[in-house]
Amino acid sequence: MRTIDDFTRPLEYLTPLDRYLGEIGRRWADTEVIPVRRDFDEDWEHHNLIEPCFRSLQGEIGFQRMLFPEDLGGWGLGHSGYMGAGAARLFEEVARADSGMAVAFGVLFWPLVMICVEPHVNRRLCEQFAPMFMQERPVFAANAMTEPQGGADIENMEIVGGSTIQTTAVLEGDEWVINGHKLWPTNSGGVADLFGVVCTTNPGSKDPNDLAFIFVPADTPGCTQGGPYEKAGMAADKNSDIWFDNVRVPSWYRACGPGLDAMYFKEVISLGNLGSISFVSGSLMNVFEILKDFAEETTFRGKPLKENDDAAGVLADFARDVDIIRVLTYQYARMLDRPDLYGDRWSDEIVAKGRAYKYFACDKAVEDLKRVMNLMGAHGSDRAHDVEKHWRDLKIVQLWMGGKQLCQMEVARWFYECETL
Amino acid sequence: MSYQELFPIPVEWLEDADRSMAETVSAWGEQEVKARRLEHKEDYDALLLPAMKKLFLDIGLQTLLLPEERGGGGMNSPEAATTATAVLENVGAADTGIGFVFANSLALQYALAIAEKRSDEALGSAAGVFTGDDVSLVSLVLPGYGTDTGDKPRYYGLDFPATARKADGGWVVTGGPARPQCCGASAAAFAVVCDLGEGVPGVLLVPGDAKGVQRGPAFKKTGLAASANADVTFDGVEVPSSALVLEGMTALRGMLSWYYMACAAVCAGSLQSVHEILQEWGDTRVIKGKGQIFKENPLVASLMGEIGGKMGTSRLLTYNLARMLSKPDVYGNAGGGNLHVTAISAFKQVGRLAMEAMDNTMELMASAGYATEWNLERYWRDVKTVETYVVPETVAETCMARQYFNLKQL
Ligand SMILES: Cc1cc2nc3c(=O)[nH]c(=O)nc-3n(C[C@H](O)[C@H](O)[C@H](O)COP(=O)(O)OP(=O)(O)OC[C@H]3O[C@@H](n4cnc5c(N)ncnc54)[C@H](O)[C@@H]3O)c2cc1C
Repeated sequence: MRTIDDFTRPLEYLTPLDRYLGEIGRRWADTEVIPVRRDFDEDWEHHNLIEPCFRSLQGEIGFQRMLFPEDLGGWGLGHSGYMGAGAARLFEEVARADSGMAVAFGVLFWPLVMICVEPHVNRRLCEQFAPMFMQERPVFAANAMTEPQGGADIENMEIVGGSTIQTTAVLEGDEWVINGHKLWPTNSGGVADLFGVVCTTNPGSKDPNDLAFIFVPADTPGCTQGGPYEKAGMAADKNSDIWFDNVRVPSWYRACGPGLDAMYFKEVISLGNLGSISFVSGSLMNVFEILKDFAEETTFRGKPLKENDDAAGVLADFARDVDIIRVLTYQYARMLDRPDLYGDRWSDEIVAKGRAYKYFACDKAVEDLKRVMNLMGAHGSDRAHDVEKHWRDLKIVQLWMGGKQLCQMEVARWFYECETL
Repeated sequence: MSYQELFPIPVEWLEDADRSMAETVSAWGEQEVKARRLEHKEDYDALLLPAMKKLFLDIGLQTLLLPEERGGGGMNSPEAATTATAVLENVGAADTGIGFVFANSLALQYALAIAEKRSDEALGSAAGVFTGDDVSLVSLVLPGYGTDTGDKPRYYGLDFPATARKADGGWVVTGGPARPQCCGASAAAFAVVCDLGEGVPGVLLVPGDAKGVQRGPAFKKTGLAASANADVTFDGVEVPSSALVLEGMTALRGMLSWYYMACAAVCAGSLQSVHEILQEWGDTRVIKGKGQIFKENPLVASLMGEIGGKMGTSRLLTYNLARMLSKPDVYGNAGGGNLHVTAISAFKQVGRLAMEAMDNTMELMASAGYATEWNLERYWRDVKTVETYVVPETVAETCMARQYFNLKQL
């Protein structure tokens, strides 16, 4: 019988841990999340159902430790040479169950990339923050970049160069004093214990030296969060306002330093795109499972739906796209794992290609899911089938991280060497 | 400029009375839905039911198409198609779900009061459903996918939700569980498409409280909070002979043509609110560093142009369909092959265009579009739900191909 494991992956790109990551992730999804996920939408505010699922994934199985060096209790993924392929596999499995959980889980590593990944490991900050994550309860971090005036501009490093960032960091003695207002970071709304905050040390400047990525523990005086926003989907991801009101942290909480923060922040973008593509891949694989059952059990013209040529055309297009997106996921993971072959993870080329793959995968997924829902008729929008959930959830993957138009601009800029866009 | 001016339709098709009714409904939408939804979100009891009460009872949509002598609004002629479209557009602009619920009722009202082969007996016995003091929701139960193979009469490949057999001067309706179009949990009456024998379709009106009607639990769905839906089973339900609303393929297709028109109007109307939301966003958001007003960015503008085009086209298509249905002397019976397929095709196009326009709008609004606060996402969920419900894609395509290219076997 055909299963989701028949979707192609370039086998030579996989991590030695692939089987274990996959099996553990799959078991967790099948036993702990899929049976209860249908009620997640109503749980968006309190996470009574969702939190225990995180607890087992991150705390008890221990995945929240994996980026830190081994001697600090971590699993050393940050210097393993297969961070990309490992992350892709795990994110796929989590997203197969719930892509909102996948983003909350993925984002816990997002700011940590700045300090845990070779060649820019910040040992002192790793030592400082590792104990926070070596716990049995789920611990989250958040990457706070988006601001009320816009998220796309902050990610538009090439053109806008950080000049719109309004969250300021001023060095006073051996402390940073941070003031500003962020919106939307995944794992805000009271979830995260640690924020990585994108700040400017010189408001209005485009100089990369003035972009600072500074860690702020969530319980630092002056740091407050609002309640979670209500949104179309992704209930497992809480998003809210965060205010920084004369927040003081030690000067060495800056991730990498002048110039380097801006440079490695692009790597954060690349990994965000890998995460996004893997979420799409995992969600679509689950839709395939649901659709396959539906098309076998439901009849049209007196035979199983899948045995009707016109329905089969839609089913085929969907399977084709899942297969391609999965290959793409691992291809991009490979590109991030082998900078010696493909270039630095923070290079304009890798960032632009990540944007291209991400918006390709997202556009395809959203279109495909619409067709699948139409094929399923009234059952397509029925929450009992979960297809509509994946549709609602994946729509935001298409929109976040600067939105589609920013992706288009960065891709055009790199491939066509545009200079003014 | 108003939406009506921005996206014109042939205005000579609307009478003053239509315009005034549309304005009344538009004011209802502003006051009863839009002004209150920040507080009540999609709460059925606090927002949607009270709004439906005002619309259906005080404004009178519940009996709009019924003849005056039956206590109705007296619009019982095909001309009502354009009136209904103008009204439905405004209902959809306020809340797609309420529009969809009304579309179900409207289709049945058409079959009872306007259709060429209407039955006075059926009208007499059904009028009570509409003319009470309470909101009476009507649910169409249409053919759908099945669960068994083998030969039996089908409707364009779909299983009939029930069969009806004559007995003791009345009918016995048996079938299900079937998925109604809307309000399975709350409908006062079901208009069930039945196999009357050897595949001859008919619609029987089954009161929601008739013996043998079993409703499943209300289930959760993507959108359309105004429609509390549940699967329904008809376990040998006995109804009088006057429950037969219509009989035969042409009559059924006529009712469905009006239904498709109504659903298209609801989707086109939802776009009206989407336009308002995007206008506000486009006027005030700034991108690309300081200073560039969002809508003045050429890439954004090109997408906004496409969105506007889809809004205009949806409106044009919907009103053109309404016009054709309003003039059977010129365009033929609503259930005739050509017009019926035009109705399917127009609804499918409008649904698709509306979804594309909303998807693109959400792309332009990024996180704001996804947050409930801006209301875009509710139209997006609702219209998608309408699109999935009304006619399965495969069936629509087959019907169109059969008519346009003279297929013989499918
Ligand atoms: C579920 C969810 C999770 C999120 N997680 C995080 C997170 O972890 N951290 C975080 O900081 N933020 C997060 N965000 C915010 C998200 O990344 C932003 O919404 C996104 O970057 C877009 O920013 P914006 O919403 O402010 O829209 P804007 O920046 O105002 O952009 C709106 C639109 O303007 C257009 N646009 C922008 N720039 C250009 C350009 N140069 N050329 C042409 N058109 C352009 C695009 O259409 C874009 O969609 C999250 C949002 C959601 C909904």
